[in-house]
Amino acid sequence: MSSEAKPQSKKKEGFLRRQAKKTDFISEEELLRKDSVTPDDVLRLGKSTEKYLCPPEANIYGIDFTRFKLRDIDSNQVLFEVAKPPPSYDAEETEEQELADPDEDPNAGRFVRYQFTPQFLKLKTVGATVEFVVGDKPVNKFRMIEKHYFRDRVLKCFDFEFGFCIPHSRNTVEHIYEFPKLSDETIQEMVQHPYETRSDSFYFVEDRLIMHNKADYAYNGGGGQ
Amino acid sequence: MGLLTILKKMKQKEKEVRILMLGLDNAGKTTILKKFNGEDIDTISPTLGFNIKTLEHRGFKLNIWDVGGQKSLRSYWRNYFESTDALIWVVDSADRMRLGDCKKELHTLLVEERLAGATLLVFANKQDLPGSLSAPEIREALDLNSIKTHHWLIQDCSAVTGENLLNGMDWVVNDIASRIFTMD
Repeated sequence: MSSEAKPQSKKKEGFLRRQAKKTDFISEEELLRKDSVTPDDVLRLGKSTEKYLCPPEANIYGIDFTRFKLRDIDSNQVLFEVAKPPPSYDAEETEEQELADPDEDPNAGRFVRYQFTPQFLKLKTVGATVEFVVGDKPVNKFRMIEKHYFRDRVLKCFDFEFGFCIPHSRNTVEHIYEFPKLSDETIQEMVQHPYETRSDSFYFVEDRLIMHNKADYAYNGGGGQ
Repeated sequence: MGLLTILKKMKQKEKEVRILMLGLDNAGKTTILKKFNGEDIDTISPTLGFNIKTLEHRGFKLNIWDVGGQKSLRSYWRNYFESTDALIWVVDSADRMRLGDCKKELHTLLVEERLAGATLLVFANKQDLPGSLSAPEIREALDLNSIKTHHWLIQDCSAVTGENLLNGMDWVVNDIASRIFTMD
């Protein structure tokens, strides 16, 4: 599969192209052998990856996620919110653990484990906000692709191009969307099998993968939060 | 009405609309964006970058971009012009001192080639503040009547109370919809 620059303009073409590639899966092993992973590559992944498809050092733009918030649009209730203290360039990284699993793992900063209650799967419309800061270089063609899976089934795929980011900027994006409709059986399976619901978030600058974050989810929480 | 029904049938799922919200700093862009989406508006700080919301509204997928209005950020605005279907220009109707600036910045945008086809909505915001100028007064001050290049409308509103935000947004979506229809 060649990795030529994809046609920019026509939304329709992009759509058809993606549709075509959906059936044309690519394996994680193939991608790990590549020098640089592209958006088309990850759109063709059929399941959550075992490994990270780029090293943390690939993020040469100082892009840092500083807040994540989830709200229920119908009730305007904040369901979940986590924020990092404002980053300062000389501070050490220890604060990062707030977003991460406390395992002693070099990838700790890019993995999050969420625990929700079963009610969570019954939500209709949610708004997911992320906030991120950008370092001292301008960023061009910043794009996010986030895929959510239960086992090998894709539940939801976000594909959004931010485009340009201003140096030293702080930016937010909220995607307000209908929660995928799930059958009662699927919901039950998801509740009974914690952490088999997973997501991969891929971030690209000029079609090169620069960040890869992962999360997994349990829906068997008994409340408390 | 009939028009929108046809449009819906055509390709509602794919129809993405890009709306760019600009204006001087402290005009209330972020507050409008949050209020329109039912979010709390008591903790809003100056935007030092952008805020984006993507949402479904009347069968369209709206991507609304609110880019910071501070002087140091305005030179970056042009990075967000591409593929813009509508420009929402937000005005602090109580900031009489800077209406000159406001007019100048708006008219600079209107000659931009990449914004040529865009619908223009001017929100005369902060109508809840005493001493705010009315929509006709803002229209005069910004010399909107001289605009021949864009479909435009001025809408008085208050981001704090939410008054008329939906009216303005509906007009924007209608105008874009009718334009798309004619072009197809």
